Amino acid sequence: MLSINLNKIWNDFELDVAFDIPRGRITALFGPSGAGKSSILRLISGLEMAEDGFISNGNETWFDKAKGINLHPQQRSVGFVFQDYALFPHMTVEKNVAYGIREKWRMKEIIDLIEIAGLTGYERHYPAQLSGGQKQRVSLIRAIARKPDILLLDEPFSALDWQTRIQLQEDVKSIIKQFNVTTMYVTHDVTEVYKLANNVIVMESGKEVKRGTPEEVFLGKRLSTRVQVTGKVVGIEHDSIMASVTILHADQFFKTLIDTEELKSLKLRVGDDVIVGVKSSDVILFKI
Amino acid sequence: MNFAAPLLLSLKLSSVTTLLLIVLGVPFAYWLVFTRFRWKFLVESVVALPLVLPPTVLGFYLLMVIGANSFVGQWYEAIFNKPLAFSFQGLVLGSFLYSLPFAVQPIQTAFSSVDKKLLEASWSLGRSNVYTFFRVILPLSRHGIITGCVLSFAHTLGEFGVILMIGGNVPGITRVASVAIYDEVQALNYGSANMYAAILLSFSFIILAAVYFINRRFVRTL
Repeated sequence: MLSINLNKIWNDFELDVAFDIPRGRITALFGPSGAGKSSILRLISGLEMAEDGFISNGNETWFDKAKGINLHPQQRSVGFVFQDYALFPHMTVEKNVAYGIREKWRMKEIIDLIEIAGLTGYERHYPAQLSGGQKQRVSLIRAIARKPDILLLDEPFSALDWQTRIQLQEDVKSIIKQFNVTTMYVTHDVTEVYKLANNVIVMESGKEVKRGTPEEVFLGKRLSTRVQVTGKVVGIEHDSIMASVTILHADQFFKTLIDTEELKSLKLRVGDDVIVGVKSSDVILFKI
Repeated sequence: MNFAAPLLLSLKLSSVTTLLLIVLGVPFAYWLVFTRFRWKFLVESVVALPLVLPPTVLGFYLLMVIGANSFVGQWYEAIFNKPLAFSFQGLVLGSFLYSLPFAVQPIQTAFSSVDKKLLEASWSLGRSNVYTFFRVILPLSRHGIITGCVLSFAHTLGEFGVILMIGGNVPGITRVASVAIYDEVQALNYGSANMYAAILLSFSFIILAAVYFINRRFVRTL
């Protein structure tokens, strides 16, 4: 388990958080820009130092102000995936992925990792020759190649267009699951939280305001539903009483009808992320 | 008098100075980029001084420091049994200081323009500062290092004032091509002066054109 209790002040902004991250789970740090989410990742990885508090990973102390302990980033078992990839531009995909591997005998694992990321055939390509989604895949497997205890992803999808983003979210989820690595990632996208996270911590102005599973945090008691999916609104057709809303969930489209008045009150627009709840009283089941 | 001797001496001086500047300038530029030393701006100002100072000023003070009556001069003579001023070694020292900004500044600019995120990525992948320097910073700064090398070489080749002040005009030892031109003009040998001048001009033009060409290619391939 990763336990953190951190305090840091930058001019007029104070970050003050304390939480535990369960092993093998994906925890999302959710909140608006400037809430201090990315700073938490930088503090955990040792790229920045807190003014007070501690960070421990299992029995290992990474930072403890009181005891004067502060391990270098190199000494902390983390994998960091940056928003803008941070791939080494002068190295091929293969060299980028191998960068953190010290043991010669592990080099053959690189081929497997590249295959898992769907990049076979791109081994000798340079980052400038890859698309945004491919770059982020390289960045992810480069971080995983080091076999870190904790994987930290700083808004990994925000630089991508939404179609690439949706596909990559699926891929990232399966890669993380495959390696069973404790993951923390920063986002301000609800759909992403639903899609990827087991737990979510909601941040505002440097403080934690809510914590729980995505359902607990975002739905609460607002809907009496049993089935929920998240998606993106891709089309709205207005009629006099009802409107038809087309929603994209993963790679599937579906339409749902909604009262025009309700549509207005929701201020729903194309491109919005939505949660679709289905009431349990009227569900058709098929055995497969 | 041997016509080629001053030219060969100029090339030798430029090569030795450039080699020293790169060997010492690379770690020095790294220090300047990454140090949190609060008086760094003073160090940077001292390094940049030769850009604005008349060469005679630098030459004069150097002569005071390394001259036969100075502490450094006497110490050097006691160890090596020969004076530092008016020797080839003295010229190397003067050229080193005079061309220091030409080597350090392009390298410093190149080091500081390497994206900080790449360094952080390297550290978070478990790699030390030294490994990061050789695998990330240095390869991504190669255009700055090439520029630093060539500018130092060209600048030392064209150096005159400092050399005349601390080296004088000793044939075969301190009489470099730029000094030879002055000498030939004094003796009204315009033909010889023109030969030296034309060679220096062509040589300087060729190496500068090479730098611009290499840098343009580098920008394209990035």
